[in-house]
Amino acid sequence: MSASLPVDSQSLKRLLAERDPEFFATLARATASCGSFSEMVALSTFRKRAAKLGFQPASAATTLRLAMVGGCSLFPLGDLVQHCLETSAHGPRRRVELFTGAYDNYVSEIMTPDSSLYEFKPDLIFVIPSERQCKYSGTLFDSRDQQEAQARKTAADLLALCRMAQERSGAELLMANFRLPAEFDPGPYRGKSAASDWTFRKLVNLELGLSAPSSIQICDIEFLSSRYGTLLSSDHRGWFESKQPYALDFQVLVAREVSHIAGRLRGGPKKVVVLDLDNTLWGGVVGDDGLDGIEIGDTSPRGEAFKAFQAYLKSLGERGILLAVCSKNDHARAVEPFERHPEMVLRMKDFASFQANWEPKSENLRRIASELNLGLDSFVFVDDNPAEIEIVRQFVPEVETVLLGPDPSEYVRELQDGRYFEALNITREDAERVTQYQVEAQREQLLASSTDMPSYLRSLGMTAVITGFQSVDVPRIAQLINKSNQFNLTTRRRTELEVRSVIADPAYRGFTVRLSDRFGDHGLISVVICRIGGECMEVDTWLMSCRVLKRQVEEEVVNEMVRIALESGCTRLTGRYIPTAKNEMVSDLYPRMGFRVVSRTGTPASEGEVEYALVPGDYQKVETAIAVTLKSL
Amino acid sequence: MSREQIFEALQSVFDDVFQEPVKVSPELSANDVDEWDSITHINVVVAIEQRLGIRFRVGEVEATRNVGDFADLIQRRLAESAR
Repeated sequence: MSASLPVDSQSLKRLLAERDPEFFATLARATASCGSFSEMVALSTFRKRAAKLGFQPASAATTLRLAMVGGCSLFPLGDLVQHCLETSAHGPRRRVELFTGAYDNYVSEIMTPDSSLYEFKPDLIFVIPSERQCKYSGTLFDSRDQQEAQARKTAADLLALCRMAQERSGAELLMANFRLPAEFDPGPYRGKSAASDWTFRKLVNLELGLSAPSSIQICDIEFLSSRYGTLLSSDHRGWFESKQPYALDFQVLVAREVSHIAGRLRGGPKKVVVLDLDNTLWGGVVGDDGLDGIEIGDTSPRGEAFKAFQAYLKSLGERGILLAVCSKNDHARAVEPFERHPEMVLRMKDFASFQANWEPKSENLRRIASELNLGLDSFVFVDDNPAEIEIVRQFVPEVETVLLGPDPSEYVRELQDGRYFEALNITREDAERVTQYQVEAQREQLLASSTDMPSYLRSLGMTAVITGFQSVDVPRIAQLINKSNQFNLTTRRRTELEVRSVIADPAYRGFTVRLSDRFGDHGLISVVICRIGGECMEVDTWLMSCRVLKRQVEEEVVNEMVRIALESGCTRLTGRYIPTAKNEMVSDLYPRMGFRVVSRTGTPASEGEVEYALVPGDYQKVETAIAVTLKSL
Repeated sequence: MSREQIFEALQSVFDDVFQEPVKVSPELSANDVDEWDSITHINVVVAIEQRLGIRFRVGEVEATRNVGDFADLIQRRLAESAR
């Protein structure tokens, strides 16, 4: 058991024996990540032991009077909740006075005005309603209206009970919703009738969440148990023996959730996320590897993971969380990727403060705090380097720290697991409300127009950037050249070095297309290489990522080919389709774009190859729904 | 598993669960140990189940009065899982 503790109990024992204040920080961290009953009981024993020895954290404690009532036994859940609340490092230190109601007595405890519940004068009431009473009382074959009406009434009754408890006690109110059953019965039909426990509880949970006033919080047991496993979270023996609502290990997760929500009632979410750069926002070290050498974007799986992490951070920014940089780097080198690397999601304008220098990070964090005029206790610092995390923990202990692990695909989860940026009532926040309305309007607009292709395309709000080949794009260009099979007219492969020689050779004109729409950035999705020989320009390579097929990128590519041909004084534009096992998709692309057939080769070696041509001077530019920007061609 | 081995397993679980040394004996019960409250009691049961790979049936543990009774119960469940 001790071997599976998140921290080894030996070090806790030692810290306790030495009365080292680090004992409490260690206990808090272990509790915050604890996922097993045995571990949490062991941690709780340490806490009780310290209290018995008169060893306490230096800071003063405020008392929270917590009452738990419900349709189940509240032991040991109450003890676990108390442990989580008392060890929590978030916000001011708390001492918990605990009241637990009698088994399945919650309705009368709440309805009787002078019950012991109200005598206790709670600050917070946690209600776990009876799962067994959340049941449809009619038959599986009643009308859907009847079944749904009963689900709505069940939820309304529970919310009314909560409101009564709140009005009588003046306490904050938290109510658990219902686990979904893990049992097979009544079989696949469960989803087809609102009378099955499965569907009925889902409806009640939905109704509870959607109808709860902002003063009543829902402890989302359905979410927690779905995440954890409904089978793992149930324990029938525990129910029959001592009316346990959930399996013991799952009770640990519920206790942590209650503690988290109680903490949020007092202190809001964090306001600032401060980020390291190298190996945090991109792979590699920009000072050593250079702009072309860092890993970011769709060229590699690692690059994609860093890009996804940036996209998550950007979404935090859109929710009103401020982003800041704190990095050991030369300022000029640190800024470069944000200003010049095409695959970066985050740009300089996304940051409220940018500190890249060689001062200690603890100093830079203080500087950011004074620049933004915000307390350090609203900061979260994110770094992949344990040494930097340690320095910040020691010198600015008010700042929460997140140490990123070795795998960037886990970064988003690692930052989310700290749960620093969750607000209880997001609707209270205007910024979020605005975004929600925008998204809803976008959806409706799309829905209304999705039957009609041209208006659908217009509604996407597409923008494209067409750029001549540039050095930073070479890895992505080479990658597309070597892996695109379907939308690829000639399937000519080239190494990175060969792509660079195309850039250097004045006879070649290569360009790329990046596409965005209002749902996001598709990145670099098309590559074209043309070769100019006298008055003829030949399309050597034309390929595109299939996910943007039929978005009119093809038309814009031909517009651009013709523009280059005219600019270079060419009177003829030719292209060829070389069939392979995989590129049937583009066999009729040239004729669709207005090219006519010049020759078909019938030799066995090049069966089906077709050459096409077009006179640039006669070409009528195609108007599309894409707003195109041309760059440095 | 012999009775001695069961007591050894119990001793090692008690060493983990209780911070003060508690010597197991057949007569020992919750009344004899300060730290042995209801929550540590549940923990002892869970730990024994995990360590020995057994599962008690509903109501069985409640019926035991002391460590000796508990060891008998463990022995029955172990014998059963060995069959």
